[in-house]
Amino acid sequence: MSHGPADPEPGAPIPHPADPAPHQADPEPGPLPRPAADDRPAAPAPWSHPGYGQPAPPAPGHAGPTWPPSDRPGPPPPGHGQPIPPPGYGQPAPPPPGYGQAAPPPGYGQPGPAGRGQPGAGPPSPGPWTPPGPGPWTPPGAAPGWPGSPTLPPPGGEEPRQRLHPLSPVLHGAKSLVVVIAGLSWSTLSRVGFGWFTVLVAVFVAGATVLAVVSWWNTGYHVVGRELRVHEGLLWRRTRAIPLERLQAVEVVRPLLAQLTGLAELRLEVVGGGKTEAPLAYLGVAEAGALRQRLLAVAGRAPEVVPPAAGAPPPPAPAGRRLHTVRNQDLLVSQLLTPQAFLLPFGVAFVVAQFLSEGSWSFIAVASTLTAMAGVVLQPVRRVLDDWAFRLDRDDGTLRVHNGLLETRVQTVPLHRVQTVRVTWPLLWRMKGWLRLRLEVAGYSAAEPDDRNRPDRLLPVGDARTGELIVAEVLPGVRLAALPSTAPPRRARWLRPLTRAAVGAGLDERVFVARSGLLTRQLTLVPYARIQSVRVTQGPAQRRLRLATVHADTAGGSGAAAPDRDLAEAWDLAAELTARAHAARHADRGRRR
Amino acid sequence: MRQRNGSPPVNGDDLAGRPPTRPGPLEPWPDTVQWQPISRDLIWVELIRLGIGFAVALVVLGVAWAITGHWLPGVVLGVAVLLAAWRAVTIVRAVHAWGYAERENDLLVRHGLLVRRLSIVPYSRMQFVDVTAGPLERAFDLATVQLHTAAAASDARVPGLRPAEASRLRDRLTALGEDRAEGL
Repeated sequence: MSHGPADPEPGAPIPHPADPAPHQADPEPGPLPRPAADDRPAAPAPWSHPGYGQPAPPAPGHAGPTWPPSDRPGPPPPGHGQPIPPPGYGQPAPPPPGYGQAAPPPGYGQPGPAGRGQPGAGPPSPGPWTPPGPGPWTPPGAAPGWPGSPTLPPPGGEEPRQRLHPLSPVLHGAKSLVVVIAGLSWSTLSRVGFGWFTVLVAVFVAGATVLAVVSWWNTGYHVVGRELRVHEGLLWRRTRAIPLERLQAVEVVRPLLAQLTGLAELRLEVVGGGKTEAPLAYLGVAEAGALRQRLLAVAGRAPEVVPPAAGAPPPPAPAGRRLHTVRNQDLLVSQLLTPQAFLLPFGVAFVVAQFLSEGSWSFIAVASTLTAMAGVVLQPVRRVLDDWAFRLDRDDGTLRVHNGLLETRVQTVPLHRVQTVRVTWPLLWRMKGWLRLRLEVAGYSAAEPDDRNRPDRLLPVGDARTGELIVAEVLPGVRLAALPSTAPPRRARWLRPLTRAAVGAGLDERVFVARSGLLTRQLTLVPYARIQSVRVTQGPAQRRLRLATVHADTAGGSGAAAPDRDLAEAWDLAAELTARAHAARHADRGRRR
Repeated sequence: MRQRNGSPPVNGDDLAGRPPTRPGPLEPWPDTVQWQPISRDLIWVELIRLGIGFAVALVVLGVAWAITGHWLPGVVLGVAVLLAAWRAVTIVRAVHAWGYAERENDLLVRHGLLVRRLSIVPYSRMQFVDVTAGPLERAFDLATVQLHTAAAASDARVPGLRPAEASRLRDRLTALGEDRAEGL
C-alpha cells in the first residue's frame, strides 16, 4: 500500500481508493519503485488509511464514509495468496506497518504516525479526515439490510446484516442476576429485608435486561468479502472489521444457560487483540456452526492443508476424523494426582488440629479457612469440569477440540496457526507415564491471567503413545520420543547446579526443541516456520563462563529458550535458527502461493 | 537492494550486509557482521536525562535532609551521587555498545553492557515500524526506530539515529517487509 496517497503533495488529487485500477494492478506490492524514498518526510502517508484521507468524493453509490462497499468490486481476484484489501478500510493485507494490530475499530484508526511528532513530519495526511463515526449509518431496524443506500444495493452482493439470536438479551439478563445478587450482598439483605431485596434485584435485573435488549437491537454482523464486520453500540457506534485471513482460532462456547436454551457464543481470536475479539453472544447453535464453517472456509481459502513433505498423516481424511478421546476416568485420576489434591488431607488435618487445640470455632475463622481451601480445591475441580469429555478431531487441516461439562467449548484451530506445542510431564503423573499437551495460538494474550480463557489444551492427560500420535498429527514429521536435545556444557552447573541436566535444546528437522524442568519436565516445540525473531542474551555470570542463552520468539506464548549454551554454540544455534526459519518460511510461502 | 534471495549477499548500498570477505573460522559469528554504530549524541541525550532525574532526586533528598536533619537522607544522597557518577560512565560505554546491522533477510540489533543482547529479526516478520523522537532527542537531531513483530518478546529498537538515517531505515524496513511479508 505504498502507492496512492504516498504522494507528498498535499491537496493534490489522490487516486480514489474506489478506483480499482491502481490497487488491483498492484495488489501485492512487488519491488516497488519508491520515488525518492528519502525525500519523503511524511512517509506516514502511505501507512495512513487511505480511505480516511479522502478529500471528498464519496464512493459511488454509497453515502457512508465508513466503508464504501462499492470499493470492492466483487471477490478478490483469485490466484493471489494475499487478498486485496478494501482500499477504504484501515487494515490492508499486504502488511504495511501496523498490520499486526488486529483490526482496529476502524472508526478509531489513527491517521497515521504523522500525528505523533515525527522528526520532520511533513504534510499531514492529505485531505480532511472524515470521522467515520456516526455517519449516515441509519439505525438498524430502519431496513433489514445494509442501511446506507437502500436504493442502490452494493454491487458486490453484500449480504444483509444479521442480528444475534433474539433470546440473547434474556440470557444476558439472567447472567446479570448473579452479579446483582453478589453486588447487593448479604448485608444489604439483612438491612432491607427480603421483600425490598427482591424488589431491588428485580429493578437491577430489569435494567440490565433493557440495556441488553438495546444492545442486541443495535448489534449486527455480516461477512463482507473476506472480513467479518460487527456493528454495535447505540450512542458510541462501533464497527469492527475482522480480516479473516488473520483468524487464528474460532471457538464456540456454550455456558450452561446457553445449553439449556440451545444457544452458543462464537469467539474469534485475532492476532494483536488484547482479548478475545468480537464475541458474538449469542447465536443459535446451527447458526454458530454454520458461521464458523464459513469463516474458516474464507480464512483458509489458500490451499494450506498438510505439508506434503511430511510422511506422517495420510491425505486429508473425510471431515471430522476422531484423533483421540480422553477417558473421563483418566481425567479424574490425573487431577487427583496433582499437588493440590495430594496435599488436601494434610491441609484439612492441620486446620482441624489447630481448631481443636485452640478450641475456638468463630464463624469468621471457619469461613475464611473454607474459602481458602475452596480456592485450592477448586482448580482441580475446575479442570475436571472444563476438560470433561475431551475429544480431539482432525478436520481437513484444522484441529477441533471439544471439552467441558457445564460449559462446553468447541475450539477450532487451523493447523498452520499452531505456534508452539508444549509437552508437560508433571511429577506425580510420571508413575502413570502420563503427559499433557498444550498448544499456543497467536491471539490469546500471554497476559491473560485466567487460563480458563486461554483454551490452549491439546490433550489434558494421555499416555506417551497418545502424546506421540497427537504431536505427529499437529506437527507432521515430529516424533516425540526421538527428539534430539543436548544439555548445556558442564561448566553451566555453576549457574544451575540441579537443573543442568534437565534443560537442553536441539534442532529437529522441522522444530526447535527446548527442554526444561527438573520435577515437572517440559518440552517446547516451535516449528521453524513460526519463529518471529531470534535473540541471544548473555548476563554477567554467563559472560564469565562463556555461556549464552538463545531465545526463539513466537507470536503468542513465550516461545522457547535454550539456556546456557556454550558461546560459540549459541552463535551457531542462533545463525542456524535464523537460516532454518527463513527456509521454512520460504517453503511455506511457496506452498501457499 | 531488492530480492537477492539465493544470490550471495551483494551490498546494494554501502551500509548493509556482511563485509565482502569471508571472515576466518576463528571469528565468532556476530563479529563477522558489519555493525553500524549509533550517533554519539545519544550520550548527551542520556546524560541530560540522567541529570534531570538526578536533579529531582537531589532536590527531594536535600529538602528532606534540611528539614529533618536526620543522617539517612544524607547517606542516600551520597549513594545517589555515586550511582549517578557510575551511570554516567556506563552511559558512554552503553551507547558505544549499541549497534545494528542490516543483512539480506534480517535486521540485527545488539545492545547492553551488563546483560548483552543480540536480536535477529527477519524483515518478513515485521508488523510495523515506529519512529519516535522525544523533545530531548529532537534537540539533538536524533530519532529512534523500532521494529515490531507479532512476538512481544522480540525487541529490535535502534535509538540515536539521524532523522535521515531513521527515515531511510524505516523505508527500507517497510519496503523489505512488504516485499517478503508473511502472516504468522
